[in-house]
Amino acid sequence: MQLLNTLLIGITAGSIYALMAIAFVLVWRSTRVVNFAQAGMALLSTYFGYEAVSRIGSFWVALPVAMIGGALFAALVELILMRLLVKHASSGPIAGVAPIIATLGLLGVIRSVISMIWGGQDLRIVAPISNNGFTINGSTLVFSPLKLLVLVVVAVLLILLTILFQKTNLGLALRASAHAPEIARLSGVRVDSVRTLGWALAGAAGAVAGLFQTVNGNGNFSPDSIEFSLLLVSGFIAAVIGGLDSLLGAVLGGLFLGITISFVLMYVSSGLFFIAPFIILLIVLFIRPQGIIGVKAGRRA
Amino acid sequence: MKALNRRKLITASAVLAIVGLAATAIPAQAAEVGVSSTQIKLGMTLPMTGTASLGYNKIPGAARAYFDYLNANGGINGRKVTLVVEDDRYVPTEAVAKTNKLILRDKVMALLAPLGTANVKAVASSVNPARRGVPVLFVNTGFSGFADKKKYPTTYTVLPSYVMEAKIMGEYIKENFAGKKIGLLYQDDDFGTDALAGFKSAGTNFTIKVPYASGSQSAAAAAGWITKFKAAEVDVVILFGVSSATSAMLGVAAQLKYAPQWMLGSVGGDATTIKLTGVPAGVLYNAIGFSPVPATTDMKDEYVKFFSDIYAKAVPGSPFDLNVLLGMNTAFMTAQALKAAGPRPTRKSLMAAIDSKGATFANSALVPAGYSKTSHVGLTGYWVGKYSPTGDLSPIGGTYVTYTTDSGSGPVVKSTYKRPAMPAKGLPN
Amino acid sequence: MHKAKKESTHLPLFILGGVVLYFLSGMVDELRVYQGATIAVYVIAISSIILLTGYSGQVSLGHGALMAVGAYAAAVLRIEFNLPIILCFVAAVLAAAIGGALLGAAAARLSGPYLAGTTLALAIGLPSLANQFAILGGEQGLLFDVGFPPLALGEEFTQYKWFFWIAALAALISMWVIRNLLNSAYGRAWRAGRGNEVAAQLAGINTARSKVLAFTISAGIAGLAGALLAMTIGTVSPSAFPLALSFSLLTGAVLSGITTLGGVIIGAVVLVAIPEIADVVAHRLGSSESVTTNLPGLIVSGLLILTVLFVPNGPVEQHRARKAKHAAQHTSSKKKDKH
Repeated sequence: MQLLNTLLIGITAGSIYALMAIAFVLVWRSTRVVNFAQAGMALLSTYFGYEAVSRIGSFWVALPVAMIGGALFAALVELILMRLLVKHASSGPIAGVAPIIATLGLLGVIRSVISMIWGGQDLRIVAPISNNGFTINGSTLVFSPLKLLVLVVVAVLLILLTILFQKTNLGLALRASAHAPEIARLSGVRVDSVRTLGWALAGAAGAVAGLFQTVNGNGNFSPDSIEFSLLLVSGFIAAVIGGLDSLLGAVLGGLFLGITISFVLMYVSSGLFFIAPFIILLIVLFIRPQGIIGVKAGRRA
Repeated sequence: MKALNRRKLITASAVLAIVGLAATAIPAQAAEVGVSSTQIKLGMTLPMTGTASLGYNKIPGAARAYFDYLNANGGINGRKVTLVVEDDRYVPTEAVAKTNKLILRDKVMALLAPLGTANVKAVASSVNPARRGVPVLFVNTGFSGFADKKKYPTTYTVLPSYVMEAKIMGEYIKENFAGKKIGLLYQDDDFGTDALAGFKSAGTNFTIKVPYASGSQSAAAAAGWITKFKAAEVDVVILFGVSSATSAMLGVAAQLKYAPQWMLGSVGGDATTIKLTGVPAGVLYNAIGFSPVPATTDMKDEYVKFFSDIYAKAVPGSPFDLNVLLGMNTAFMTAQALKAAGPRPTRKSLMAAIDSKGATFANSALVPAGYSKTSHVGLTGYWVGKYSPTGDLSPIGGTYVTYTTDSGSGPVVKSTYKRPAMPAKGLPN
Repeated sequence: MHKAKKESTHLPLFILGGVVLYFLSGMVDELRVYQGATIAVYVIAISSIILLTGYSGQVSLGHGALMAVGAYAAAVLRIEFNLPIILCFVAAVLAAAIGGALLGAAAARLSGPYLAGTTLALAIGLPSLANQFAILGGEQGLLFDVGFPPLALGEEFTQYKWFFWIAALAALISMWVIRNLLNSAYGRAWRAGRGNEVAAQLAGINTARSKVLAFTISAGIAGLAGALLAMTIGTVSPSAFPLALSFSLLTGAVLSGITTLGGVIIGAVVLVAIPEIADVVAHRLGSSESVTTNLPGLIVSGLLILTVLFVPNGPVEQHRARKAKHAAQHTSSKKKDKH
């Protein structure tokens, strides 16, 4: 039972990391940038969702509101910040690190502005369905309808995005813009708009991660929520483990990270919480520097 | 040529920068630093932003609420008490920088309720208030070491130490849960190691001890802790952690229908805070809790009533929780210390006042304070209560049962302490 | 590779700088002296980032953790063996350099975002390890006492002035070392590798080894900064090395101009001055508490973005570039090789 519960804890945590990792991958694919402000944007979307819940009262309305809000904000960031960045800092010695620095700055701005608008205290969003564990043979599992829903959402998102990328013209444009922007441009793809779209998709995915992270915990969040700083690191590590370029990789990376951490905390020491992700990442990078989903598979997805 | 220009530029900018910093002049000194004919200036550092700030960032508002009331009613011999608050983000580097600012720039008379063991220790070492003769009143940490008068001659503790609490918990377990399997959740830093020392001194044996890294407490982590406690089949689970750990644990326990006998440490046991995070009151029901001050919902208590009325007016809409009560209580004690320091209070007379009269200062705590010429120990014990069906900590059978002890190997004894009545209008006399 | 013999080491200039600082420390109040010491610490820490990121092209979000390694090494040796303070600082450099070499070996295999992520995870993970080993003193940390200033300096000589002297001297020495290192064959190899790795390899530079070396040296410098930081706050504890520290070092480096060592003082002063400036601004505006407390963070982050967008190579470089442009317009001089 302990073993099963440890696995379930890992899967649940991992599915949220996976959502975040998907957002990282979407941005990376469209603009070759790791967006360190991703968790901040997820947090901002959660505040959008909170505003919707407190006005309309339904989580199911808040979710699309947060997704649209997150997508619009992400698109805005791409349109303003990222394009200026490309214009001013795409060459020279700093070009390689400029996006990292700019998105870190954005993270700081988002946090400060949220604290100024909504204050530092805890706000609360209540889960739409029960988070009480399923009971089997009289013992309660660390798995609930809500956690099942999170898994379903991850799966649906993965499938939808995969279809979008594989089967639609838009997906083709997205892939082409990321891998060969010049050729894509020559073939009539509006590369710039497509990049913005990539960011918007990521913003929406991040919003889902933010909302579900919140309700899957105790429903509380604040500008300084521990969960959101963890989301930044864990989501990113999950994406890296998955190869940074593959949606499936992101999901597998998230689950792998969640499950491994869960087992380490359960059977080694619960004091290793902060160092465990670093060690896991180092090991993965040494064994498979290209991530668990190889470059080839990543390119195809 | 180019290189030389660059050097020049660097040197010039360095000189400019430092001269610029130097330009602000030093204000003239008063008779006693921080005390003028119209005001007494105090300084506080604590996390106002960042992950460690939750809950604690209400303390300045609470303390100011009382000081404003005091000032509106004549202040201390006509002097208004002002509180300068600096955000240290719970980082020792910031705490040192901000404390330097408070002492050297703002020229505060004393530091009030600085928070966090690492921060207070860094400030003691670097800023060295002791050498400067600056009183550090009522530090907001349960680390027993700060009561060491030799090491920290100007520092006064107020909260009972973590060691005291663990000893009293151990005694209660001995009396009520002999032979039961006990589990412990603790923070894997000094907060936890102090607790372990106290439990060891009380002779408590644990079936399982689960440490957690500070900052790692979340619902996901709590699911793991519960899985461990379940596997160890313990009867009693002690939660000796911060509020967010207690909340995460109890919230998840409700979802997993896990219901051992809970025992909550005072740091993470404030019912108002726990319930605000969405933990159902029913989960708290019958849990055992410890506190040095009355329950924050006990409106029959004259101090709680008085403080909550002032707070509701000063900070409308903000819940009256343990941090607020403790913050106001500290301000209340500070006012009495300032009053007792004489018509022309100085840093020396302020400390002398606490040394000689501190143990008799009226305040809401139900346990005695240990201040004397030889001791800077604050409150020395806890009362034991049970959480009611509405999730509020209440005395068992309606009367407060208090225990007192020390941070060493002294015994745990039931206390007969009678709290001083609140002075008229809640003003120091 | 041959050493550039004709290039002067500018030793007299650094000595002059020291003399200026010496007199300045006697003219300002104690708070400014303390801030001066902090600025000196930041100067060292930021220059370690400039060396790594600006010159060798590797990004680190984990230098706060390397500072912690240096600080803990110094404190443990001071407490356990009562080593002279100068040896503690040397040990801090060595310990962090060893850590940096290990990390650098891993880093050489990682590029851009992978490296950023790995060092980010390190910054979060490493300080928390202090709670796993009793000798490291847990959350409350270890005392790190460099001792009182020598009596020969007089009774008026404050502890903070002593800190400032030590930190400023360390800063001058490290700046001198780094500057000459950057102008040496190593520095050229780093810049070559940063610009075009393949070309550098074709030119006979072992770029992997060159990168590891840069990481090692940068880490050693960060370790020194860590030990000095511990000196100024008198203790070493995990909470003194939060993720925010690593971020602010990068911020400081960007504000200084990440490719110009010379601008490092700008970043250091800005980091120390921002809270004060924010305080003044907030009071002028009479803003609410939530605005006041969050204004420093907003200003720092905003400055970071603006700098990256509009002066990506920093104010010093910008100034120089503009001057070079002017010069080029006035005289039809030939292109000079500038570093």
